[in-house]
Amino acid sequence: MTTGNMWQPVSLSHSIETATSAGTRLCGEDLVVWRDSSGVAHVWEDRCPHRGMRLSFGFVRGDHIACLYHGWQYDTGGQCQYIPAHPDLEVPKTIKVPVYLTEERAGMIWTTLAADAGPLTVPADETGTVPVQSLYVDCSADAAIAVLESMTLAPFSAGRDAETTVSVVTPSLYSVSTGQDLLLVGIQTITDERTALHVVISGLPEVYEGGGQAHFLSWALDLRYRIETPPKKTFAVPAHTVAEAL
Amino acid sequence: MNEKARLVFKGHLYPEAFVEFARHRARRLDIVLDVASADGEAVNVTVEGPVDLLDAFEMACSLGPYDCLVLDVVRTAA
Repeated sequence: MTTGNMWQPVSLSHSIETATSAGTRLCGEDLVVWRDSSGVAHVWEDRCPHRGMRLSFGFVRGDHIACLYHGWQYDTGGQCQYIPAHPDLEVPKTIKVPVYLTEERAGMIWTTLAADAGPLTVPADETGTVPVQSLYVDCSADAAIAVLESMTLAPFSAGRDAETTVSVVTPSLYSVSTGQDLLLVGIQTITDERTALHVVISGLPEVYEGGGQAHFLSWALDLRYRIETPPKKTFAVPAHTVAEAL
Repeated sequence: MNEKARLVFKGHLYPEAFVEFARHRARRLDIVLDVASADGEAVNVTVEGPVDLLDAFEMACSLGPYDCLVLDVVRTAA
């Protein structure tokens, strides 16, 4: 069970390019994830204080994001610095977008809705990561995790008969290992009935880019299929009924 | 440069809803708001702050909350 007060991933790092923004949700809260021109990621409330327009529709210019609607510009702290319709105005400090703690770790962008959530406990990348895919499924995080824990993973790097081990790293991060390969799956609670799973390979890009990504993308798509396709009910049919039918 | 203005919003108003809306906008714009009177036909306030922000306050309150209909705004120097 995860909540918005815990650290959760909201995007794969590679999905948010420099000077771009995207909208997402965490526990029902609309968020904008954006990356400034120096490469730093930010997660804010996805709402301009002026007229409520989504900032994820806005433009990133340098270290500012500007609202699409009237061009109000916000610095990396969420403070409005410039209103084009009033260029000489010293903007009041009260015009500010709520911002959330943001970290990048394990090839994902992490945030928490709580200001006092404590540090992110996801281990630092030691070997690097290679992105696979973000999967969006219509079920609770718990239901998605239950399927994830039942999955087997065919190794990419060596033999075909290695065992699959699924482990909890944090409540929002699972590792799936087989042979020499290790996948990390970040769990994002979008709402009680919608979940995102952000899948990355923990390993060197020169080993996994291309073939490795394709191999584990196939696994990720199978995971999504199994989450979205509940097991079919089976019925026992008496042998004599089958015999009569034949 | 700060200015001080008196604003009278006239129309079909729920005074509690309108005043709450006005206070919220004044806080957001960081201007000083003093509510002199409020009833179902008019809300009379005095505001002080940069003129652009007083303009923004007047514009926001001329739309008002969803359950109030502002028909006229009278602005005078205070």
